[in-house]
Amino acid sequence: MGLHPAEFLTAAMALIELDNLSKSFDGELVLDEFTLSIEENEFITLLGPSGCGKTTTLRIVGGFTRPDAGRVIFEGKDITDVAPNKRHVNTVFQKYALFPNMNIAENIAFGLRISGKSQNYINDKIKYALKLVNLSGYEKRSVDSLSGGQQQRIAIARAIVNEPRVLLLDEPLGALDLKMRQEMQYELIRLKRELGITFLYVTHDQEEALTMSDKVVVMNQGYIQQMGTPEEIYNEPENAFVADFIGDSNIIDGIMLEDRVVKICDHIFPCIDEGFGRNTPVDVVIRPEDILIGRPGEGIMDGVVTSNVFIGVHYEMCIEAGGFEWLAQNTTSYPVGTRLSIRVLPENIQIMNKPQSEDEEAISFDD
Amino acid sequence: MKKKRNDLKKSRASRLGRGLYLGLIILFLYLPIGTLMVLSFNSGKSMNAWQGFSLRWYQEMFQNQEILDALGNTLSIALWSATLATIIGVLACIGLNTMSEKRRSFFMGLNNIPLLNADIVTGISIMMSFLLFGISLSYGTVLFAHITFCIPYVILSVMPKFRQLQNLTFEAALDLGASPVYAFFRIVLPDIMPGVMSGFLLAFTMSVDDFVITHFTRGAGINTLSTLIYSQVKVGIRPTLYALSTVIFLTVLAVLVASNLLSSAGKRRSGPSGGSGMTPKKMIAMALILALCLGFTAKFTLSRGVSAASGSRGELYVYNFGDYIDPDLVSMFEEETGYTVIMDYFDTNEEMYPVIRNHTAQYDVICASDYMINKMISEDLLDTIDFRYVPNIENLQENVRGFVEEFDPGMQHCVPHTWGTYGILYNTAMVDEAPDSWSDLWDEKWSQQIMMPNSIRECDMIAAKILGYSMNTAQESELKEITDLLIEQKPLVYSYANDNARDLMVGGSAAMAVIASGDVLYAQEENEDLDFVVPAEGTEVWTDCWAIPAGAANKEGAQEWINFMLRGDVARMNFEYLTYAIPNTEILDLTDNPILNPSEEILARCETLKNLGAETDDMYSRYWKIFKSS
Repeated sequence: MGLHPAEFLTAAMALIELDNLSKSFDGELVLDEFTLSIEENEFITLLGPSGCGKTTTLRIVGGFTRPDAGRVIFEGKDITDVAPNKRHVNTVFQKYALFPNMNIAENIAFGLRISGKSQNYINDKIKYALKLVNLSGYEKRSVDSLSGGQQQRIAIARAIVNEPRVLLLDEPLGALDLKMRQEMQYELIRLKRELGITFLYVTHDQEEALTMSDKVVVMNQGYIQQMGTPEEIYNEPENAFVADFIGDSNIIDGIMLEDRVVKICDHIFPCIDEGFGRNTPVDVVIRPEDILIGRPGEGIMDGVVTSNVFIGVHYEMCIEAGGFEWLAQNTTSYPVGTRLSIRVLPENIQIMNKPQSEDEEAISFDD
Repeated sequence: MKKKRNDLKKSRASRLGRGLYLGLIILFLYLPIGTLMVLSFNSGKSMNAWQGFSLRWYQEMFQNQEILDALGNTLSIALWSATLATIIGVLACIGLNTMSEKRRSFFMGLNNIPLLNADIVTGISIMMSFLLFGISLSYGTVLFAHITFCIPYVILSVMPKFRQLQNLTFEAALDLGASPVYAFFRIVLPDIMPGVMSGFLLAFTMSVDDFVITHFTRGAGINTLSTLIYSQVKVGIRPTLYALSTVIFLTVLAVLVASNLLSSAGKRRSGPSGGSGMTPKKMIAMALILALCLGFTAKFTLSRGVSAASGSRGELYVYNFGDYIDPDLVSMFEEETGYTVIMDYFDTNEEMYPVIRNHTAQYDVICASDYMINKMISEDLLDTIDFRYVPNIENLQENVRGFVEEFDPGMQHCVPHTWGTYGILYNTAMVDEAPDSWSDLWDEKWSQQIMMPNSIRECDMIAAKILGYSMNTAQESELKEITDLLIEQKPLVYSYANDNARDLMVGGSAAMAVIASGDVLYAQEENEDLDFVVPAEGTEVWTDCWAIPAGAANKEGAQEWINFMLRGDVARMNFEYLTYAIPNTEILDLTDNPILNPSEEILARCETLKNLGAETDDMYSRYWKIFKSS
């Protein structure tokens, strides 16, 4: 996966601009002056815990929820007050929302019938869409006779036959089991490539977000925490919330002694970060898989293994060292009680400023 | 082997027990309606004797314009109110569904309160609101009231369906370009249809079922089946109503079967092989209900149209006791005079009185009993009659005039319709010596074979006559003696009964009963052994009269009505229909006997029931309670 720089360059302007959106429900602020631009042909994912405002954002784009303030700009036009049925977007809902009183073909044809397409065109489109989602021959089946994954693919087919400029997907894989979810992730990537349209995807599952997206927007409490490619988000979390939310992390208090030198647990670690000043308190993020294990005395710190669990592919261990319990992952198992040393490569140490403002305080990782 | 056989025996016994139990329950549930259905085919009028199979009552029912009108009203009100309540209810559900949880539960609570409200409270409050806003009661007010009380039921049965939808399919349809209206009809409605249908059927049955609310909100001349049946209670329920009840029961059964077909069709639809749209069975069921209602409604409007066309001189509103004239006379009067008669019924004077006093509905001519006429005159509720336009007054029997003078001095406000006395009906096969005194009812020979009336004034009258007091006495000491005498008689009395005394006598359940003279001919027809005597001490003479409420819109018509009722041939028809004595000189050939026309000597010892005033009324009730609880 990765960015598609060519696609970014061809977009003269953003396809959708979300401009200072605010929304509250029953006095509770869900979105606070939220601003985001979505480019043409982008697979963009809104990622965050429940209640972070991601679904509200999607519903505002779809037209199902009106923002209290702010605008939605579509190709330069303000569509904030345009009804959902007049927008060039289609949605794939979390619980499929297929019409139970219609068979599969009628479900898919629903949007086309409304826009007054000819029967031939509709028949062709149904065939094409069913082929696209690998369900050819299901035209006459009833909704109830399909599995969850099949229903979700029909919901996607029903949305894409209308050739929307943007496809909104609201946790579309949430109701599926793990295997089905992985299969569907590949399906979605393939669909995105074949259709060449913009996907706005909402999920709370970081794996989904990192696997499929061109761009990930991490949200919490109505704010954007960080925005970037999956690699950027994973490797360089900008704050403790993102680091904590994306994958497992060791987040430790440290002091930046000078450029490229950080003191953690009274031990000196070389790193590659600069510009934090001297003796500045910072948060340090180290991924568990980046902790390298050696014999006692060979690393930067010595420690003792306090727990060891096999979690498939590798072992997850807790190592007590320098008064901190480190989470480490390794393909080699070290039994509990083993004395060993740990070290971290300088490029794998991520230095972050301590939260300053109240807002940042609120999202600090100790929640 | 042996053990097995024992088990078999045991299980057979328990199966038998279970079957017996089930049979008993079903018997309890269906025996009453079964009895009614069997009696509807009885050729005689009796409630307890089978006199051969006949369809006579069905024939009579379908020829009775009143019953058909009421049936038409019932069905058209039910159909319209259910339809409109369903539409309003579904719209309300759409609104409720978009509310926040808190607001919705608040409004659902508001919706549920009327369901728990007693019907009588709902009925009275709706009537009061109509009167407050100066809306006179009519067909429209009944319809409005029915819509009002049906809406909560519709909301209650539709709302859960809406909650199941969770808005998702509706939003999905909007998302695919459907307008909100299209999305509602194409997507949401099919999904909530089972709820809508059950709401409609519930509203329909509630409307058909309702008596209390209809009773309070109906206007002059508007009857549904329930109010019509109720208004006929005074004279006794005629077997045509058994026939009608049978027809209603079978209709409801048909609707029930139809709705079951509907719901089972609905269940199949949601199965895996389900198709879309309406199944044939569902369509048949729907069509059946609709055809039934439309058929009757059409017939109703048609017959209404015809009768309206015949009335070129306007309408005459008559308020009468239920079934208290020969119904053929109405069309006869309409043909002769050109008025359209709109007849309304009540069961008791006390029910009629507030309607007239409060002008809840405007009537031109009413029927009322002596003491009530007296009360209404004293409150200026009655107009005087201009006897220049009532020349047939010369047919009135002289001997009744004296009694009318007692409650309407100068006989300016009313003209007697029927009259009669109370006396003793006795079974000659059981009583060897004919009774001739009220005190025979205190004879221990007839212990547990005596029936007394179940009303204050009639019981008191009997004891008062024995003691030689006036039946209208206001002396507490006399009333105390009267009460003591009645208490003394209590152990001898088989039953204190009003309406069914006559039928119990016909069936031979008692030897003697106090009964109104008007019921005697009917009773004798059914049982030849019965005879009647007016005791020598004298008795109560009651008179039911025609009168014109003050401010009647059609006084001219009202006077023509009264004049018509006094005509010889009309009096004859009424007498033959009612068997109550009609004080008309033209029919003396039929009524000149001691039962219907007591001798001057006895009449001289008779009194009419007088309006005693609130204070004395209270005293009477107090002593009646003492008697009742002794």
